[in-house]
Formats: sequence, structure tokens, C-alpha cells
Amino acid sequence: MKSYDVISTRANRIDTPDKATGKAVFVDDITLPGMLYGALLQSPHAHAKILSIDTSEAEKLPGVKAVITAKEAGQVKYGVSPARYDETVFAVDRVRYVGDEIAAVAATRLDIALEAVSRIQVEYEVLPAVFTVEDAVKDGAPQLHDEFKGNLCAEVHQEFGNVAEGLENSDIVITTEMKSKRQDGAFIEMQGCIAEYDNRGVLTLTSSTQVPHYVQRTVAMVLGMDVGKVRVKKPYVGAGFGIKAAANPMELACCMLARKTKKPVKMNFTREQVFMYGRARHRFHHTITTGAKKDGTLMALKHECWLDGGAYTSFGIATVYYTGSLLGGPYKLANMSYDGYRVYNNKPACGAQRGHGAVIARACFEQQLDMIAEKIGMDPLELRIKNMMETGDTTCNDLNMSSFGMAECIEAVRNGSDWDKKKGHMPPGKGIGMACGFFVSGAGYPIYRSDTFHGTVIVKLTEDGGTALVYTASAEIGQGSDTAFAMIAAEALGIPLENVRLASGDTDMGVDLGAYSSRQTLMTGHATKEAAENVRRQVLEVLAEQLNVAVEKMDIRNGFIEFDGDTPDFSTLRTRYIKEHRGWTDNPDSDKLTFKEASRIAFLERGSIVGTGKYKPHSLGGKFKGAAVGTSPAYGCSAQVAEVTVDMDTGQITIDKITDAHDCGKAINMTSVEGQMEGSISMGIGEAMHEEVIFDNQGRVLNDDLAEYKIVTTMDMPRVKTIVVESDEPNGPFGAKEVGEGAIMPTIPAILNAVYDAAGVRVYELPLTPERVFHAIQEYRERNKATA
Amino acid sequence: MLLPKFEFHEPESIEKALALKKQLNSGARFLAGGTDLLVYLKKKIVSTDHVISLQRIDGLGEIQENESNLFIGACTTMAAISRHPAVLKRFCALKSGADNMGTHLIRNRATIGGNVCNASPAGDTLPALLVYDAVALVESPDGKREIPLTDFFKGPGKTDLKNDDILTGFRLPYPPDHSGAHYIQLGKRKSAEINVVNAASFLTCEPGTSNILSARIALGSVAPTPIRAPEAEAALMGRTAGDDTFNAAAETARFKDCSPIDDFRGSAAYRRAMVGVLTKRTLAEAFDQARA
Ligand SMILES: Cc1cc2nc3c(=O)[nH]c(=O)nc-3n(C[C@H](O)[C@H](O)[C@H](O)COP(=O)(O)OP(=O)(O)OC[C@H]3O[C@@H](n4cnc5c(N)ncnc54)[C@H](O)[C@@H]3O)c2cc1C
Repeated sequence: MKSYDVISTRANRIDTPDKATGKAVFVDDITLPGMLYGALLQSPHAHAKILSIDTSEAEKLPGVKAVITAKEAGQVKYGVSPARYDETVFAVDRVRYVGDEIAAVAATRLDIALEAVSRIQVEYEVLPAVFTVEDAVKDGAPQLHDEFKGNLCAEVHQEFGNVAEGLENSDIVITTEMKSKRQDGAFIEMQGCIAEYDNRGVLTLTSSTQVPHYVQRTVAMVLGMDVGKVRVKKPYVGAGFGIKAAANPMELACCMLARKTKKPVKMNFTREQVFMYGRARHRFHHTITTGAKKDGTLMALKHECWLDGGAYTSFGIATVYYTGSLLGGPYKLANMSYDGYRVYNNKPACGAQRGHGAVIARACFEQQLDMIAEKIGMDPLELRIKNMMETGDTTCNDLNMSSFGMAECIEAVRNGSDWDKKKGHMPPGKGIGMACGFFVSGAGYPIYRSDTFHGTVIVKLTEDGGTALVYTASAEIGQGSDTAFAMIAAEALGIPLENVRLASGDTDMGVDLGAYSSRQTLMTGHATKEAAENVRRQVLEVLAEQLNVAVEKMDIRNGFIEFDGDTPDFSTLRTRYIKEHRGWTDNPDSDKLTFKEASRIAFLERGSIVGTGKYKPHSLGGKFKGAAVGTSPAYGCSAQVAEVTVDMDTGQITIDKITDAHDCGKAINMTSVEGQMEGSISMGIGEAMHEEVIFDNQGRVLNDDLAEYKIVTTMDMPRVKTIVVESDEPNGPFGAKEVGEGAIMPTIPAILNAVYDAAGVRVYELPLTPERVFHAIQEYRERNKATA
Repeated sequence: MLLPKFEFHEPESIEKALALKKQLNSGARFLAGGTDLLVYLKKKIVSTDHVISLQRIDGLGEIQENESNLFIGACTTMAAISRHPAVLKRFCALKSGADNMGTHLIRNRATIGGNVCNASPAGDTLPALLVYDAVALVESPDGKREIPLTDFFKGPGKTDLKNDDILTGFRLPYPPDHSGAHYIQLGKRKSAEINVVNAASFLTCEPGTSNILSARIALGSVAPTPIRAPEAEAALMGRTAGDDTFNAAAETARFKDCSPIDDFRGSAAYRRAMVGVLTKRTLAEAFDQARA
């Protein structure tokens, strides 16, 4: 076993003191001299032609500095994936959902900007609208985009192995459906941004984003600017969960207003606008058929899914592929087919959210595993063990598990939950259920086709010696990535965490694709490690020259230089160091040569010591269409056991306990790993139990606040027992991989399986509101009465 | 979404508040905790140029233990109600209503007067006030009057108050010995919840027996206002308390007393079914207290 000094501990997060004392600066805390406030005009109609826009009354209002529409903004199409750029900043001649952006105003005060927005006169011709997948694919349905006939945004058809044959050779074949509801990320900080345009033509956007890099590219493209003249940075961000993983129209409008007025402009979404803008998890409708042998061997999986996409593509192409590609594992399965369809309609676009594309498919499939287990009289946990993949296995769609502690996870939750004692022995109304899952540690490819490095990092030693500065363009959005990279840098360099200072989230610092697909720990982590090792080598090289000791005979640990064998006489170096620091109180007197002395000497010999690091995955995946989506240099995996109580008269469910084991490779910061596990469970519970964005028949969100959109409260959170399983991932820095999204995979099906165990009912639609569960129980009782 | 501009007034007596209201005409709005009013103003459901705060008026935020009843000032917050010894001792169903409302932050601001004046069919303190036979105390430029709570609610958001009226508080007669009461709210999550259905029951038994001397049941979210369930109450009077009696009352409440509708929070069918369950459960708990 390697021993570590910094990683694998429970280090205090470097942002905690600022956040706990209110010192952390978020976009809305920032005010700049001469700053203007922007506001958006958004469509009140779900589908309409714009006949005319008259901004003259708005422009007349004192305090208004700029009003822009598609006329000024131009018609550059953008989106997430270049294959489907289907949005413009402002609607050109048609609006496609309630909230579609039409114009923006900048004024000296927010109330003036809002008043100006209300004075913009738009003449609409209201068009028939469609709101559901079923209606949107009907003949004669209103069409959203001329290029995509039948409102079909994207379709995917894949088959691996021979599914028909696999099902034929199965003893048990189970087909079920699963329907979910549109989610909202419900992050605490609404999107907000400030754009500045300086006298030299440089645009700086400070935004609450997960992806400064992609926003920079989109801003440059849409505004027709040189990428080098666009800088995007993020202050502290109150989470994103995927919704902030692409440029939004407010950011673009804000940049345009700043360029036009030459003044800083600030814009914010209200909570209502967050709901109106959407881009969170799609509503899925899955039909899955799974075949198995009598001994429990899984034979084939046939999967069809319809995704309710909303008005634009957003992340949808990736979503519809992920939905299929991340299902078969973590089980050995030779035959798998997938037919996915993403459908446009007149609601806000859906996009990516924690567990991108894969969460509801898993909720469907993992229930079927329990049904198969029940049919053949096998413990569902044993059925999973029987089929589970192992380190080195590759799925039928070419995803390679370079490390895979699935067996350890299952055993951990078996013991941690006392499964063997409880399963089959729960009192009436109480139940226990389990499920497994896996997820990428970073998408194998960038969203736009490119050979780019996915992350670059610069480490620089301060010239006085002793402190390492880490510069990364990665995005700390609350998940703890800054702390993780500071820890990785400290470990790789051999110095204490407190001697590392880190700055992140700024495109001036390099390239980093950002916080999505659970990529940063592995990818940015690699680049950080490489940069720190580079700096370490430079310092040791100077020492080698000065002390005449081979580089390989030296090491840096805990801020001291360690020598293989005898410590050479370093008094000349120490004297040289101390001479320069007469009167200083902290001159070294240790038996060992300090890193501080060594790095100062390195500077004196070589000038500033700067190291760079970079990372991009090796070539991954198969050759078929869409093979890239789902690839990753590594996969995290997890198992969860849920214990529930069902009130048989009201249908109310109480989740009593969740036992969660997750293989995250090497845990960089144990506490942060557990935080991600608990956070994932909380989000999974919300989706399973009560979260659902509800629309009226005009396409307006009915529950656009956090009173009526019901996320989990502390009172809904069960006791969570987290068990961190550490495998050694060969493709991860220090063996680390993901925990941010994989941990949500088993939550919903574990709850569903526990509800079945408690109440005898299978529910094929989410959320599990008391009412839905009550009706399921009533039906079950009727059925049993009929057969009794 | 910005709070619109308005003039803010803070009178220090009821007389001044009434005079202000009269002077400013119908345009002015009273403000207690503001947890309803400010939301409505922001969302432009309500608009006004003048807001008259009631918070500085002496006595409106007090709870007084009188000889035969408890006075609760209209501006008493949920947090204050929930920790008051007299409420804890004699009005546990009201405490549980106050505890169920919103979050800590809301409970520290929201007042019982505001909850009653807001007259939501789902209001969390309303079923308990109804079964405790609360009387609303009202002052207007014409003098004082009293309105039994059963006559107070006229529709969603509508009450018996006139434009110039200030609700000053409530009088709740002390429940007799051998009585008990209980409140349950049923929602989708475990806190910060707007109920799908709620219910409160109150029972008095003959000492030493299980004979029901008086019974009151109140239901929320199953009619345009919170309602009493007279048919179910009648089905209990003079009966022996127990599962069968409670089941019968629950069925009566479910099929005769309520008139729920479908909305995005729940269907009429489910609400009706839950009226049965909650009526039964609140009666059983009230009975346990009554014979304890
Ligand atoms: C996040 C959130 C959660 C909530 N959760 C719940 C919940 O779980 N259950 C629930 O029942 N409610 C809930 N509410 C609604 C609200 O908090 C309650 O109705 C509260 O009791 C209102 O009291 P208030 O003092 O804030 O009223 P205000 O907003 O100050 O006033 C409400 C109305 O009553 C009038 N008014 C107030 N006092 C008087 C008076 N003395 N005389 C005459 N008129 C008066 C006002 O003019 C106004 O029209 C919630 C609100 C929010 C914002």
C-alpha cells in the first residue's frame, strides 16, 4: 500500500471558512461602478409568430440605456452540440415556449429595466401548440422546427449482440414500462451574470456557470468575437447539477448589452425564470424487456425510450444516447438493443441533470431484476452478484471497466444494512430493497469535436519559496473540487495543504471543460498532478546540481526534502537562504532541508518555477454511431439498500434508512465523497418521492417556486450510512474516479424495490406521491380480492 | 420579481390603525407577518399603494390566560403559539397546526390572524381553531363585534371581515375535562408542506365511560373553505367511542360532509378517501387523550 500525507484524509475544505462566515462572493454580491441592470422580455405564449416588435416606448423611458432584439443580436445559431445548434439568443420570428427570449433591456436600475420590458410592444399571431410527446408525434401536429419533421429532434437505434435470440433463449422474460416527470435542478443560486466590455475591446463575463470554457466559446461565436478577447470566469457558484453546463441566453444578452453600452451589466434569473428556462432532467417513458435464465443469468435487454425534449435540443442529443448506453452495466450482458427518440414540443427545453440520461432507465431495469429474482426464487442481491461485471470487463457497447469494486459495494451494503437478516423478514408495511448502478468519470470526448486537452493546470511556486499556486480553469460549484485539486497538488509536490493556494474558474488560466459528467476529479486531477510533479522535478533538479545528489535519491514529503541514505551537508544552501532573510522570524532551523529553502534556491538558480499539466483521455469506445457517448476513462459504481415504511391507508412512504456503498477509486477527500453520496441520495429521493414540474394547458409552469416544487427537506432525509469502497483506478490520478453522479443511480430503484417489499405493489410512474401509491394499493387489494 | 413600491405605515394603536385605514380608503392593506401579503404583492396578485403594519400595536401579539378561556392576539406568531404553556397544556391540536406551518423562518413571522384572514382552505391552524370553537374578535370604526369561526370563512381568500375591520384576536374556551383533540395534515413531503388534506377532531366523553358527550370535526382542502363536518359529528353524539363508531363517522365525513375538487395537488377521489382516514385517526387520538 502506498501511503499518503494529504489525500485520502478528511481535510477541511478550503472554501468552508468563507462560506460559513458569508464572505464567499457570488455573482449577486458583486456591484461595479456604473453598473447597469438588465432584464429580459420573454414570451407569454407557448407558440406564436412574432409579427412586429416596437421598442420605442421602452427606449423613451429615462434611465434606459439599451434595448436589443434579434435585429441587433443577429441570428447566429448556437446550442450545446454543434450537430444541433437550434437556438438564437432572441426569437427571430417565432417563439416556441413560454419564456422564449424576445428582447433585453439595460437600465440604470432594475425596476426601470423591468418597466421598460413591459413597455415593449410585441404583436403575436398565436399558433397551435403541443405539450406532450404523444401529441407532438401525431400526424398534423404543430411543427416546432422546419428541419426536424414530425418534431423528432433525434433518434437512436442500436443493437449489440442478438437480442431476439437472447430473449428466445431466456426462461423468464419481463416487460415493464416506467414513466417519470420533468425535474428542476433546484440549485440554491439562480443563474446570474455580469458582463464588462473594456476600452481595449475585451469582454469579461462573470457568471454562475459550471463551464466557463464552453460559455467562452459560445459567447465568442454568437457575438462574432475573437476567443482571445472573451474571458469568462466564475465566482463562487451555488450549484448547477447540469443545468448550468452550457451558455444560456441571459449570459449572451448580457454580453451584448455590455458591448453596446460599454458599461458593466448585471442580470439575474428569478426563481420563476429558472423554472421557465428549464434544461433539467427530461421526462422519460421507458419500455424495457429483460430476459434471464432460470439460474438468474441475464440474457438480453431490449430498451425503448421516448424523451420529452421541450422546444430546443440543449443537451438532448447526448441525453438520448446516454439513456441507452449507460444501462447494461454493471452486469454482464451480451445482447442489448436500444431505440431512443427525443421529441420537441412547446415547453422549455430539457437538458442534463445529475446522472445524465440514465436515472429512470435504471429505475425501470433494476425493478425487473427484482422481478426476475422473485420468479426464480433467488435473493435479488445474489442475482446481482451472479451477473455483475468485474475489473477489466467490457460491456457489449464497448465501455471498459478499468477498475470496478461492484462486488465490494454489494457486500458492503449487505453487511451495512443487515440485509440477510432483514430481507423477507420485515413486518407488514415495512420493506427493504436494493439496486446497483455505475456512471462515467468524465465524458470520453468534449462536446464539440476536438483534439483539445480536457484540462490544463499551471502550478507556480512563489519566488520567496514555500508556497505553491495552482491555477485551473475548472469549476468549483460547491462540490469541493478546489479542495480536491489543492490536495492533489500538495500530495504530488510533497507539501502540506496549507502551503497550497488555488485559483480556479477563469478561462485566462487555461482550458478546462468544466464541472459536468463527473469529470473534474479524474481529468483536472490528472493535469494538477502532472503540473505539481513537474514543479517538484524542477526543484529537485536544482538541488541535484547544488548538492551533487541524483534526483532519484531525493523526495519531498510534508514540506521537507528526504534523502535516500545519508543526508548530505546542506549548510551552504541554508546559509544562502538565511542571509537573504535577515530579521525574518521564521528562518529554518530543522534537521532537514525544508521545501521552502529548496524552492527559494531553485528560484535563485532558474527564475520562476512554473510547471504545467494537461490531460486528455486515451482513445475510447467502439466504432458504431454514437459510440462516443458513454465512454469514459473510468467508471464509478455503487450499490444501495433502502428501507421504507408504507402507510397502507394513506399511501405515504417514509424512507427509514439508506445504506450506500460507492466505489470512487481512491478517495481524495473522504468527507467530500460522503457529501456527494448523501447529496445524490437526497436528489434521488426528491425525484422518487415528490419532485415534478407541472404545467397548465397553456404551457406555463404551475409550480415555479420551491414551496410547490417539492425538493427533499431535512425531515424527508433518512439516516444514510455511507460506505466508501476504494479501488485503485489505473486511469485516475492517485487512483481516483467519480462519485458525483453515479451515487444517484441506485436510489430510485432501491426505493421502488423496497416499496414493493413493503406493500406488494409495483409503481411504474414517478413520483411516488401518497396518492399514486394509495391507488396502487387499492388496485392491488381489488386484484387480490378478485383472485381470493 | 421586485416588491412594488408602497407607503408603509406603522400605527401604534388600533384606533390609529382604523383611522388610517378609513383615511386611505379601501386602497390600504393591513400587514401582520407578511408571509402571504408580500408574496401576493410580488406576484402582483394584490396591488396597493399603502401598507399598514399591525406589528406595533400593543396587545395584538399577546396570549392571555383568562378565567374560562384563552385569548390569542391576532399578531401572535406560530412560533410563539407553539411554545406557550397554556397552548401546550390545553390546545395541543392548535400547537400541531402551528408546528406544521411552513418552515422555521415562516413560523417566526407568520401570525394566526394572518392565517385566518388569508382564509385558505388548506390553512394549517384553521381546523384546530374550528374544533376548539374559537370566536374571532373584531374591531371597526363602528365598534367591536364577535364572529364565531364557523361563520367567518366565506370562500377561498374570502372572510366575513369588512374592509375597515381589524381582527384583534381569538377567544378559545378551555376544553372541559375528559376531552381531547388532534390534528393531522397530509401532504407529499414531511415538512414545509401545503396539505393535500387536513383534519382536526375534538371529543368530550362522559367521565368514567366511553360515551361521547360532544364531538367536533373540521376538515381542510376539501371544500372552498375549511369546514366543520356536522353529519359526522351527529353520528358520534351519544355513541360509545371506539373503532366502529369512528369508522362510521369517518365514512359519513367522507361521503356527506366534504366536496373536494381535483387540482394539481391532488384528486378529489384521493382527498375524499383521506378525509375518511384522517377523521378516523384524529378521533382515535382525541379519544385516547379524553380518557387519559
Ligand atoms: C414559504 C411559505 C410557506 C407557507 N406554508 C404554510 C403552511 O404550511 N400552512 C399554512 O397554513 N400557510 C402557509 N403559508 C402561508 C402563510 O404563512 C400563513 O397563511 C400565515 O399564517 C399568514 O400570516 P401573516 O401574518 O404572514 O399574514 P400577512 O401576509 O401579514 O396577512 C395575510 C392577509 O391577512 C390580512 N391580515 C393579517 N392580519 C390581519 C388582521 N389582524 N386584521 C385584518 N386583516 C389582517 C392581511 O391584510 C393580508 O391580506 C406559507 C407561506 C410561505 C411564504
